[in-house]
Amino acid sequence: MATLTPTLIGRGAEAEIYSGDFLGLKVVVKKRVSKPFRDPIYNRVFIESRTRTEAKILSELYLAGLPVPPVFLVDEEAGVIVMGYVEGSRLSDVLGGLAESSIKKIGWSIGKYAALMHNKGVYHGDYTLANIILTSSEDLVIIDFGLAGYSNDIEEYAIDLHLMSRSAEAMYPELAGVFTRSVFEGYLEYSEVGGDSVIKKVREIRARGRYIEREVRKAVLREKYVD
Amino acid sequence: MMLRGRQFQIPVQIPPVKDHLIVLGIESTSHTFGVGIIELNNHSVRVLANVSSQYKPVKGGIHPSEASQHHVNVAHSVVKKALDDAGVDVKSVNAVAVAVGPGLGPCLRVGATLARFISAYWNKPLVAVNHAVAHIEIGKLVSGMVDPLVVYISGGNTLVAIQRDKKYRVLGETLDIPLGNLLDTFAREVGLAPPYVVSGKHAVDVCAEWSSEFTPLPFTVKGSDLSFSGLLTAALRMARESKGDRALLGKICNSLRETVFNMLIEVTERSLMLTGKKEILLVGGVASNTTLREKFKVLAEFYGCRYYGTPPEIAGDNGLMIAYTGLLSYLYGRTTRPEDLTVKQRFRLDEETYPWLP
Repeated sequence: MATLTPTLIGRGAEAEIYSGDFLGLKVVVKKRVSKPFRDPIYNRVFIESRTRTEAKILSELYLAGLPVPPVFLVDEEAGVIVMGYVEGSRLSDVLGGLAESSIKKIGWSIGKYAALMHNKGVYHGDYTLANIILTSSEDLVIIDFGLAGYSNDIEEYAIDLHLMSRSAEAMYPELAGVFTRSVFEGYLEYSEVGGDSVIKKVREIRARGRYIEREVRKAVLREKYVD
Repeated sequence: MMLRGRQFQIPVQIPPVKDHLIVLGIESTSHTFGVGIIELNNHSVRVLANVSSQYKPVKGGIHPSEASQHHVNVAHSVVKKALDDAGVDVKSVNAVAVAVGPGLGPCLRVGATLARFISAYWNKPLVAVNHAVAHIEIGKLVSGMVDPLVVYISGGNTLVAIQRDKKYRVLGETLDIPLGNLLDTFAREVGLAPPYVVSGKHAVDVCAEWSSEFTPLPFTVKGSDLSFSGLLTAALRMARESKGDRALLGKICNSLRETVFNMLIEVTERSLMLTGKKEILLVGGVASNTTLREKFKVLAEFYGCRYYGTPPEIAGDNGLMIAYTGLLSYLYGRTTRPEDLTVKQRFRLDEETYPWLP
């Protein structure tokens, strides 16, 4: 670690983010930290298990060709991952300023990448606009796999799509329709796990929220619900 | 903090008004029957009255028809006390507001019937109010916050929301039972309640003090959504094995509380990261829980945010929040004819647009 002289560049929901230099490569050091408002046992469990999960899944997806940062070093006990640096902006900050054609293209890719992850039995767990980096060449990089996991349950896959569509609705209500449709299109094109049933499940999850009208809930379950 | 007599600057956009206005608000969505009276002067409001009466089940949980009977029984005296406190006659009230949902049907109908009557008999404009929106608006009024990340937790709601394009947008919510409901159900099933709250402290909080030990329980956060039913089942299963062991039950309560609050904090953190908001506003009945307030205070300091937790008088259900939100609606001309007013048991926070939102 001698070549690492990390400087703090940001703070996420659960980690401090440092940038540094590792054998001449620009890297990010993600250090999960204890929270003063969390029980010490939870602090330890969260830091270790999420660091382990994130490192494992990042490595697997990177080797499979998905656009995620490569992992260089992991220290589970310290909650540290050293990974490749990604230059760009969080999609949650910039989506509103993009042309409709770009939004469609980005949405489509986000759907495609979700399908490719799910085809490998991996779900992201926090698939929102904030966890997609848009690079200057309009490429996407998916980050923050702390809540990710392995599952064959399409519910977990549907939650990824649900979160993405709802984060768009909350942040950019006027674009959310176009965006989400593109996400679904990209997803359907690449899904090998039954894309239709995943998207049906997305509607079902949405209908589980509090105070949804009974009729809507029933209609969703009858498959006759139209957006 | 007593709100009666206090004056607040309205933190949202309202159309210019010449005269001063008095609005009476009625709350009856669940266990509380409340009447609030508020007075508008230019861009500020003064609290004239906030009177409540709560239905407290002798055994079990809230029985909707028993609660509605309670409301019918106390309605007259609560309205009268509110008018007396305010020192106004019903004739000088300029509009009547009522919470039409979400809530329990029989309870909602008591408030709606009373509001329709006052409106029709004294010829007062009638305003329908969303109960959830009212919780948030009163929180914004008292805190002076303009664009907060809203965390709304009560017996019937658990959600995180922001405002965008004239609407509240839900970022995360419970996919099964609400947080307050979880704590109440647990306390009831293990024999700690009713009463659920004694001198401001919930039965689970009291029990949690019997132990400082902690054991991890199912922690179900799905992105920004929460699920509490598996946690409830697991905690109840453990409690059944405790068989009167006070220390063990204390440990379960302590762990249950720690787990639900951490789940809530987790989705709050994620929503803060997504939205970049710099203010956190905690509203709803569970917002008066001291343990949770303390955690949110530390959370806000950690992220350099401003934090405000609504005080008990307005955290729980109350008529004042209905009066204030009714006033905002009234200023934008949103009135209903008595014959058109209907209750809406399922009335989502993100269903309608509100002209005063950014």
